[in-house]
Amino acid sequence: MGKFNSVLEEKVMPVAAKIGAQRHLLALRDGLIATMPFIVIGSLFLILANLPIPGYADWMTSIFGPNWAAKLNYPVDATFNIMSIIAAFAVAYRLAESYKLDAMSAGTISVAAFILTSPFNFFFTPAGAEAGIMVTGAISKAFLSSKGLFVALLFAILSTEIYRWVVKKDIVIKMPAGVPPSVGKSFAALIPGFIVLLVVWVIRLLVELTPYESINGLVTTLLGDPLKMVGLTLGGTIVAELFVTVLWATGLHGTNIVKSVMEPIWFGAMGDNMTAYQAGQPLPHIVTQQFWDNFVHIGGTGVTFGLVLSMLLFAKSQQMKSLGRLSFAPGIFNINEPLIFGLPIVLNPLMIIPFVLTSIVTVIVTFIGMDIGLVAKPTGIAVPWTMPPIISGYLASGGHISGAIMNLVNIVISFLIYTPFFKIYDNAKKREEDAMNAGERKNIIA
Amino acid sequence: MHILLCCAAGMSTSLLVTKMEKAAQEQGLEGKIWAVPANQVNQHIDNADVLLLGPQVRYLLSNMKKLGEEKGIPVDAINQVHYGMCNGEEVLKTAINLVNTK
Repeated sequence: MGKFNSVLEEKVMPVAAKIGAQRHLLALRDGLIATMPFIVIGSLFLILANLPIPGYADWMTSIFGPNWAAKLNYPVDATFNIMSIIAAFAVAYRLAESYKLDAMSAGTISVAAFILTSPFNFFFTPAGAEAGIMVTGAISKAFLSSKGLFVALLFAILSTEIYRWVVKKDIVIKMPAGVPPSVGKSFAALIPGFIVLLVVWVIRLLVELTPYESINGLVTTLLGDPLKMVGLTLGGTIVAELFVTVLWATGLHGTNIVKSVMEPIWFGAMGDNMTAYQAGQPLPHIVTQQFWDNFVHIGGTGVTFGLVLSMLLFAKSQQMKSLGRLSFAPGIFNINEPLIFGLPIVLNPLMIIPFVLTSIVTVIVTFIGMDIGLVAKPTGIAVPWTMPPIISGYLASGGHISGAIMNLVNIVISFLIYTPFFKIYDNAKKREEDAMNAGERKNIIA
Repeated sequence: MHILLCCAAGMSTSLLVTKMEKAAQEQGLEGKIWAVPANQVNQHIDNADVLLLGPQVRYLLSNMKKLGEEKGIPVDAINQVHYGMCNGEEVLKTAINLVNTK
């Protein structure tokens, strides 16, 4: 037991701490967080456009005309579907901030760099048409949405690093004597942006010579697709969840640390599903951001909602009784730090076992449920992770009862796995308390 | 005294804030206690006399300590047991001690 804990503390924690505090990964995570409000706002409109209430569509048509759904999708396109632009700005902004550079300049330059990576000509198949037509002088909204996310993130980091390099080199334009110094400075301020865009432009020209045709094509084929292929499988998902739970077992925010690596993939998958959902096509992915937020992490990481129920029903020791009551309200909103640090689950092997086990079992059951079509997949509608279970599964699946039932099933699984472990632990606590009380009584008598 | 708390989303530390405020009120302490996500500490640290990290984000402790040094305020992680039991009184004590021994 002591050895297990020392391995966690000495081996796992330092590595996790390094990843969690790594500058670029932090910038990626914080930058992606900036897209979240827009994604949620877009999701609200997406829900309104797809409310699964019989008669709703006819009712809307009678009021707003036959194109009502398309009109509800305008704000979706202006929020959810520009997540790559927002990420391009926000990631560069955060990274520059951490270097103590001018964050606003770095952010705006990064947006320009990102747009420069997007193809301005592309094939488009109009609704009902047989063959695609070449559209020129336009940017496909797909590239501004999830399809461009990897490129946006990559070039946000690249452009900010070039920016930093140029600023560090302190390149200035020497003006002839007599020119006011401020004039020289105003030109110098343009240099970092100019060099960033020059580099990206040259990369673009070079890539256009290859069969990938565009930077987006290159990054998607070489990076995005392989990462999705590995990261979104059942195996990849189990591994990710293992890391999440083992890190939490050391008391570190495992979700956040793993997110900093996996979030681009999960966000991308969320966007892919949303695009398909908007177009009424089958959803390509099972594992998206919402797979975690609204299906697996019910009650918080470790699917602790069932544990809270078990505590409320069975706790005998005073400590567990009061902790159960304290944990219930936050648990409804999927916040479980009181449990993780108060029970504690941290460095407590007896409780780490069900913590990890429940997580893995729910991942597998949810994944398979969605894979065989029993449960509706997450649509890409972004439901905040603090949304109480059952409602969250219902909303995230685009209004399918199966989503709510999946939440319920996971709560039952969690309850069944945690309860025997909790009872052993609670009994030990009870004995401790009894011994302490008996000791006190003895002291009083003596 | 102005006490800034931070964790990943600023959610679970906000639980603690209410308890700390209560403890501060009982002790007649004036000031402000508030919780923010770790990525917003930058915007808030100038108004704080002390910064406390939720134990789950203590992987950021060395970054935050550096920031605290620049701003001249003490920074530390909250004790896990106090955090888990939402023990506002103890955490308040930690904050006061940090400011006093600076």
